[in-house]
Amino acid sequence: MSETTPASALRMTGISKSFPGVKALQDVNLEVRQGEVHAIVGENGAGKSTLMKILSGFYQPDEGEIEVAGEPVGHWTPREAQKRGIGMIYQELNLVPDLTVAENISLGVMPKRGPFVDYKQVTAIAKRVLEELDADIDPGTRLGNLSISQQQLVEIAKVVAKRPSIVVLDEPTSSLGDKETRILFDVIGRMRASGIAIIYISHRLQEVMEIGDRVTVLRDGRHIETRDVAGITPEQMVRLMVGRDLSEMFPKLDLELGEPVLTVNNITRVGQFEDITLEVRANEIVGLAGLVGSGRTEVARAIFGLDPVDSGEIRVKGKLVKIGTPRQGVAAGIALVPEDRKAQGIIPALSVRENFTLPVITRITNALLVLARRERGIVNGLVDRLKVNPPQIERPLNVFSGGNQQKVVLGKWLLSEPTVLILDEPTRGVDVGAKADIHEIIGEFAKAGGGVLMISSELPELLAVCDRIFVLHEGNLVAEIPRARADEESVMRAATGQVAA
Amino acid sequence: MTDLKAPVTVPGIVGARSGAGSVLGRISIPIAIVVLVVIGAVTSPSFLTPSNLLNVLNANSTVGLIALGMTFVAVCGGLADLSVPANVAMGGLIALGAQPAVGAVPAAILGLVVATLGGVVNGVLVGYLRINPIIATLGTGSVLLGLSQLVIGGGIVYGSPSAIADFVSGSALGVPIFIWIFVIVALILQPVLSRTAFGRWNLAVGGNYAAAAASAVPVRFTKGMAFVLTGFLSGLCGVLLALSNGQARPIIGTGYEFVAITAVVIGGSSLFGGRGSIIRTVGGVLITALIGNLIILIGFPTQATGLITGAIVLAAVGVDAYFRRKAGRE
Repeated sequence: MSETTPASALRMTGISKSFPGVKALQDVNLEVRQGEVHAIVGENGAGKSTLMKILSGFYQPDEGEIEVAGEPVGHWTPREAQKRGIGMIYQELNLVPDLTVAENISLGVMPKRGPFVDYKQVTAIAKRVLEELDADIDPGTRLGNLSISQQQLVEIAKVVAKRPSIVVLDEPTSSLGDKETRILFDVIGRMRASGIAIIYISHRLQEVMEIGDRVTVLRDGRHIETRDVAGITPEQMVRLMVGRDLSEMFPKLDLELGEPVLTVNNITRVGQFEDITLEVRANEIVGLAGLVGSGRTEVARAIFGLDPVDSGEIRVKGKLVKIGTPRQGVAAGIALVPEDRKAQGIIPALSVRENFTLPVITRITNALLVLARRERGIVNGLVDRLKVNPPQIERPLNVFSGGNQQKVVLGKWLLSEPTVLILDEPTRGVDVGAKADIHEIIGEFAKAGGGVLMISSELPELLAVCDRIFVLHEGNLVAEIPRARADEESVMRAATGQVAA
Repeated sequence: MTDLKAPVTVPGIVGARSGAGSVLGRISIPIAIVVLVVIGAVTSPSFLTPSNLLNVLNANSTVGLIALGMTFVAVCGGLADLSVPANVAMGGLIALGAQPAVGAVPAAILGLVVATLGGVVNGVLVGYLRINPIIATLGTGSVLLGLSQLVIGGGIVYGSPSAIADFVSGSALGVPIFIWIFVIVALILQPVLSRTAFGRWNLAVGGNYAAAAASAVPVRFTKGMAFVLTGFLSGLCGVLLALSNGQARPIIGTGYEFVAITAVVIGGSSLFGGRGSIIRTVGGVLITALIGNLIILIGFPTQATGLITGAIVLAAVGVDAYFRRKAGRE
């Protein structure tokens, strides 16, 4: 034995947890060693957050045992978890912008002299911890004056100041740029070197490859595999996460294009976009690309009738239509899946059933009442077709994962049987499996003769799915790129205003 | 797979609460009513008599009508209609004041129409112009009430005996007409909220206004109509009171908005929108009626009624806010 295995910092054995109607975790094992970065990957709803909430004491497991540093834990509460050295760093920062860096670091555990806060001590603690993390931040600065990545360092310092033995980072890079991510990785490396066990949760598999020592894959609340990162590729990870191959994810159907279904002629909304002319044909998926703020969302909203246009005309199947409200948009055969699912897509407290039928509810009534059986029949059919999971149509929509919510939003518009389907970021914040399902649904819609206008910030998605891409820049349509000539470079050049042609 | 397809019967009204919470939510109102009845029966021999119970219901059925309308206002996210006292007064004053000119029945209808128009004004202000409902209805309420006081002065308007006045003050099958009217209106509005497209729109608009708008729901119309309905029912309340009393003054509806809000909130419909039902409000009306009656029978000073119902409303709103916040966090 020339090399001893490092001691186990955490062992969770046989963890199971159910919520009413859902088995969130079934017999999950997790073992994390001192001084390793242990990545946990899985789709949304795979059970990562539930597992972490159990680790941090917010949930009690139905079954299973937790050992910290080789000792089984007793009554497990958030306070107890903190005492035993478990520190949590979430996506959202839990900091007070108007306090200083030092005050934030000691928040909740302020050292005191008599009844008063011992500010000398507060500053000393902050200085020491920031030095350890090699962070060049003045403890006396007001937190709100720092950049986001610096604030995140303060958040880490706040956790490290409590001398944790295990640190959980939940999607820590989601709001960081490349450079800031580098800095974060340096800090994680230093924590690892000092013997802290790190649990790293991320959707970004490249990061897992780069920083992880071992990776645990969860799927549908079960433990699938734990492996050394050195022996696995991102493709293999995805296959373990979704249970199928990545190549099946962007299937592009080759369809004969039909007659124009949506014709937009010179529409203008003053201050937002100008003189936009575009066309979508039957069986066609057309992309609308552009940077954030280029006016792409505004164009989509106007075509659907959420915002009025100042001039220009819209034709559906060649027929001039007047669209001033979403009701008129729906009547004309247009549907819009909005960008912000939480704000504009779902009614959280209403059930899956009620959300599905909302735009077409007047079509499922007799003279007075909603036809309950017919409504349930329609919705059950959609739930099967769209693979909404769990298929419980009476549960409020807010208890479903983001991917399932998005399927419901998409499905409610399919139910209105539109001629033109406009999609604004249809797969944002959606996990890999649901993403593939959503692409399949969109493909089927086009195959059945519909026209699709799709906005996405994810260029690979647009390039894979679209027959044609229109590019907007500062409210103007600057390019129309056919599939054959579309690549990341040509689209980006147009989107940033460097039009070649 | 089969267990997932098991029939689930929870309606949308309980929102995000867990299974156990929803069962509790559904049985707590009947339990509260039973408890109040038992307390009443134990403390006062005159409580559990048909005449006392019919009296209690009779006295609360007019304000109960307003609570039914207020349920729609609360559910669609319109908070509350504070112009209720003015519309009650308008309905009552016109129903009697116009009698000499047009006759009893047309005067009553005219009262209903004017109160409904008050509701239309509220509906336009809140639904179409998107003014905060509290501010808008406080404004229309004091304008309308001020107008009626200006016209009537401090005085009282008297009605003349008429067939319709006799009818609404009478009984059928031993039950006062007021109670019949409340029951019939409740029976009509229950499926309107729970089973029509309009009802679904109310729940959607209150649950998430922007998403409802983006789902082609006529959001402005829906919100406006909730106020029109409440205006109409306030007018009905005023007309009934005026006809049965044979007189009306501008203050006849004072405090009715609060009683109605109390019933809605105690019934468990959310004042913040998106959740509620007529059956719950009927339960809330019964509970507030029983509490008021018990206060008198037990011998508390009647001045304590406001204190007690006020405390209950704050508690109920607090519980609602707590559950919302909890649901939002999960």
